[in-house]
Amino acid sequence: MRYDAAVIALPTLILVLTGAATGLIGALLGLGGGVFLVPLLALTFGVPIRTAIAASLISVIATASASSTINLERGLVNMRLGMALEVATTIGGLAGGLIAVTLTQRQLFLAFGATLALMGVVMAVRSGRRNVIDDASVEPGRLGGRLMESGQTYVYRVRRLPLAMAASLVAGAISGLLGVGGGIIKVPVLNAFCGIPIRVAAATSAFMIGVTGAASAFIYFGRGDVALHLTAAVAIGALPGSLLGARLSHRVEARSLKLIMAVVLLVVGLRMALESF
Amino acid sequence: MSSHTRRLERVIEAALTGGVALSGLLLVAGLVLGSTDPLWWGVLLLILTPVVRVVVVTVGLVLDHDWLFASVSLFVLGVLLSSVYVAGRL
Repeated sequence: MRYDAAVIALPTLILVLTGAATGLIGALLGLGGGVFLVPLLALTFGVPIRTAIAASLISVIATASASSTINLERGLVNMRLGMALEVATTIGGLAGGLIAVTLTQRQLFLAFGATLALMGVVMAVRSGRRNVIDDASVEPGRLGGRLMESGQTYVYRVRRLPLAMAASLVAGAISGLLGVGGGIIKVPVLNAFCGIPIRVAAATSAFMIGVTGAASAFIYFGRGDVALHLTAAVAIGALPGSLLGARLSHRVEARSLKLIMAVVLLVVGLRMALESF
Repeated sequence: MSSHTRRLERVIEAALTGGVALSGLLLVAGLVLGSTDPLWWGVLLLILTPVVRVVVVTVGLVLDHDWLFASVSLFVLGVLLSSVYVAGRL
């Protein structure tokens, strides 16, 4: 068994800064930095795609773990919902890691690009909706919860749990296949269709992403796709970047957060789809 | 939110912070020293951190007698361990 992919001669500082920038944006938007890291490493630095995916997965585990500590502190993580959905994300992650070798990169880029663009459209269209109930005495149910925002307590209930599970399974599989956190699938679905407020959706998604990433990271580690120097440098940069992003996300207004995410999804989606031609 | 849940969240925070901090130290040491061993251990510890988190949650829920969610958490742990098993056979 090998553990270390071929050494890629890239300056450590550049890699650390790349990890920091992608970690910052990923945590700010609740997506995980992998959405930006994989294209950056593969397209800009010429890192083999599989090595970029492995580095991204491990970097995403670091950022998700770090930002989860802040989100837990703020009471934004719905732990029970997260655990229920982790059943689906980990199975998806494991499957994604295992089938990664059977699909061509072209097919993957096209399917994923189209998915991202579609999610961007859904997000933009529904950005004005609020999912919370102003009456704090309403019972949130076993998986729902309460959210304190601007001194007021809001209640939300989880709707369409099977849809949330299905989205989590797909998110896990895409995470394992492409090295992203999968928040890009889960957050829009949880928010737009399942009644979860955007901040709780993003925080709960990040909470799941560490575990989801681990399910497939073991596969990449075991296959010898992890370039230790590259991965370490990127992850070290991603840690402070993601912590800063998680802190700043608190100050971004919910509607603008949704619109920013919609634009990001569309742009990255189209860029990925173009890569397949 | 119950005080049990709040307490469990504090322990999870500590586990995640500890795992990330220790692996971060190893990764920095490996990069500065140009040595592969700390990098290998740092990466492995980073991947194991969420696994430890699931273990902590499972134990916490068992202690709270929340059998439904303890079973859910145990299932997730099973999937993660099967991933380790599969990775070891590749």
